[in-house]
Amino acid sequence: MEMLRMTDISKSFFGVTVLNHVNFSVEPGEVHALLGENGAGKSTLMNILGGVYTRDSGSVVFEGQKLEHSSVASAEQAGIAFVHQELNLFNDLTVYENIFLRKELTNKLGTLDKKAMIQQSAALFEHLGVDIDPRAMVSELETGKKQLLEIAKALHAKARLFILDEPTTALNNEETAHLFTIVRRLKEQGNSFIFISHKMTEIFALADRYTVLRNGEFIHSGLISETTPQEVTRMMVGERYSDREAYEQRELGGPILELEGLSGQGFHDISLSIRRGEVVGFTGLVGAGVSELFQTIFGERPITGGCLKIAGVPVTKHSIHRAMLNKVSMIAANRKENSIIPDFTLLENDYISEHTLTWRHQHISRKKEVQKYEELRKKLNIKSNSPDDLITSLSGGNQQKVILARWLNTQSDILLMDNPTQGIDVGAKAEIYRLIQELARSGKTILVNTLEIPEIQQVADRCVVFYHGSLQAQLDRSEISEEAVMLQATNAINTAEVSN
Amino acid sequence: MGNNTLTNKKSISIGKTIGNYSFVLIFLAIFVSYLIINKGATTWSGVMNILRHSAVVGILAFGMGLVIITGGIDLSVGSMLSLVGGLTVVVFNNTHSAVLTLIFALAAGTACGLINGLFIGVAKMPAFIVTLATMLIYRSIAQFYLRTMGLSIYSMDASHPTYDAIYGFGQAKILTVPVVGITLLVITAIMVYLSTMTKLGKRVYAIGSNEKAAHLAGINVTLTRVMVYVITGILAGIAAFLWLAMNGSVDPATIGKSYEMYAIAAVVIGGISMSGGKGKLLGVLFGAMSYNIIDKIIASLGFDALINDTIKGSILLVAVLVQMVVPMLRGRFRKISG
Repeated sequence: MEMLRMTDISKSFFGVTVLNHVNFSVEPGEVHALLGENGAGKSTLMNILGGVYTRDSGSVVFEGQKLEHSSVASAEQAGIAFVHQELNLFNDLTVYENIFLRKELTNKLGTLDKKAMIQQSAALFEHLGVDIDPRAMVSELETGKKQLLEIAKALHAKARLFILDEPTTALNNEETAHLFTIVRRLKEQGNSFIFISHKMTEIFALADRYTVLRNGEFIHSGLISETTPQEVTRMMVGERYSDREAYEQRELGGPILELEGLSGQGFHDISLSIRRGEVVGFTGLVGAGVSELFQTIFGERPITGGCLKIAGVPVTKHSIHRAMLNKVSMIAANRKENSIIPDFTLLENDYISEHTLTWRHQHISRKKEVQKYEELRKKLNIKSNSPDDLITSLSGGNQQKVILARWLNTQSDILLMDNPTQGIDVGAKAEIYRLIQELARSGKTILVNTLEIPEIQQVADRCVVFYHGSLQAQLDRSEISEEAVMLQATNAINTAEVSN
Repeated sequence: MGNNTLTNKKSISIGKTIGNYSFVLIFLAIFVSYLIINKGATTWSGVMNILRHSAVVGILAFGMGLVIITGGIDLSVGSMLSLVGGLTVVVFNNTHSAVLTLIFALAAGTACGLINGLFIGVAKMPAFIVTLATMLIYRSIAQFYLRTMGLSIYSMDASHPTYDAIYGFGQAKILTVPVVGITLLVITAIMVYLSTMTKLGKRVYAIGSNEKAAHLAGINVTLTRVMVYVITGILAGIAAFLWLAMNGSVDPATIGKSYEMYAIAAVVIGGISMSGGKGKLLGVLFGAMSYNIIDKIIASLGFDALINDTIKGSILLVAVLVQMVVPMLRGRFRKISG
């Protein structure tokens, strides 16, 4: 018998149909991947299930019971838990206080029975196989632990169907692996998961079945074991899909970025020479030190040892401003936190960095700025109406292109991209890869940090693998494969190549 | 159909414009009630006096507006008026030079602002705490220094001809418009230009909107923060000079008392968000004038001046309520029409 059946679900906002007679079902004890690009209707469907939105038509049956008047509380009561991307935890409360919030245990005197709550929390974690101290403050937990706590909390509230909305975005590979182990264990006990993710490797590692939505329509449902990432991607993207690889062979110039035994916070003794026009993929588990290396090259963190040469000139005093004068730019990870100025228009987000280089000339000539922006917009194919629209009105992919425009506007030659396709759907990802290749062809040097190996295969001339802050291996384009990279990134094979 | 969506779009943009410029509506409402209450006794010079009497709070409020856009606050502006005003009187009485007096007022204001800016920008201390402390310090120094001289009020030496020049400037009119009012308008123009058309202005908004992203976009956040507090100090110096030109003396205990609150209110009525990053400095002028008209209304009604703050407080509540409700109604309207 099915655990969940959603039939003929329709929903429109302001006259725009976002879900058009969608069917969706989940079996007991399965992980069901819900796939689609941003705007395909995944979130709306899940918000209807979780009781956040009310449906216009259709029916929802959960464990044989019709869910009629949906609200968040009634969905929770029924046993459906929505684990949001932005975790709904109270950072300033302890772990057990979060679990027992609104369901606190009291003793005879009516005061809180902390001992019982702590004991029950500990038992819950043991059952899950998670190592969390019930008395710890939530703010002190790592993101991975928070995610697990959220699941534990739902489990404590007797949830049987868990909606995981991009649960691994903020997790490192170890944490992801741990999360998956726990998901599999809970699955064996008859719980089900709806798994939303943009990462194909994870979907194929974890899910049993999948359902694809596109433009608010149901496209296909089937077994993961009977499909391939290419086929699924084609279903998600539709006619726009092309199998063509973004990578093209190019002529490389002389060395432009040279690291000689460079050390900083989080990495040490890195020696590397990168040539003009080269695209280098960097990877490593979270905490391996690549982000820190990028931030150091960009002047955000201090150099503690060794030498950094940009275009042959050693960098002495270092700051973001000086890095920019040396034509270095960085697209930071976590776009929303580190890149987007939310109250600014597209135009303002575009010109803000260039203006720090032309500070002496204070007056802003709108006409000139619009002209420059329009050129970049066409070059990067940014889909937008007016340069005066707020950046927050764009999709993730287009937002990232505006940030890319911001740095191209500064005429920089070396682009450091830290996880550039984070939170971007498949179609837009392919466009970013194409742009990286195009920019490299025009002479830009691009360093990409990513956890997704297929991404490196798409764009990079060579792959640099980090492990615990040091350079573990360099792989030529022909040598890049998931297995080869993971072996290095987890230090599974101990190469003699470790520098020093 | 196409026609329909067009009018729809238009009505939304009109609604948006009203939302963005609600400070004009509030100002007009208060101004019209002033005209009605005065029953035709309103004169041109009466109206011009509104401009003149809004100048000191208005100029302080422009600095406050800039600071609030960065996500900060400056509680010390009223006390700066006291300290800078008092010391400027001493400088005038010793030099009898109008130019030196003005230069000193600007320099002292700069110094007061720089102290705030260094603590907030460089030492990264909370703006509320730093300016609360300097609010206490600046006024106290002004009062203490006066006491050490055995005086009860800082009074400009009226016997010297330069006094007439400065005092005359405070009373002068060009084509029936008071020069002090013109000064306010000129500063309005400069501040609106600065905030909308210059790179510094965009920096200020960027920091208030997302400080971390601004930093990673290459903006020198520390320097920009120091600069906005210095600008506020300079404006306080100008305000202090105008005060002297209009009044000729400073009582450090009472001058500018609660002006920081009026300045904050003018900024909020002007539609600038207290959380930073949003709002127009033009609104500050209307906010400051609105508050000044309330003084005039109460005077012409013959009410006790003590009721003043009740009305000012209520207007502040209504203004913010309107700013909250209008976007909500706009959203609902769009839902129905869509």
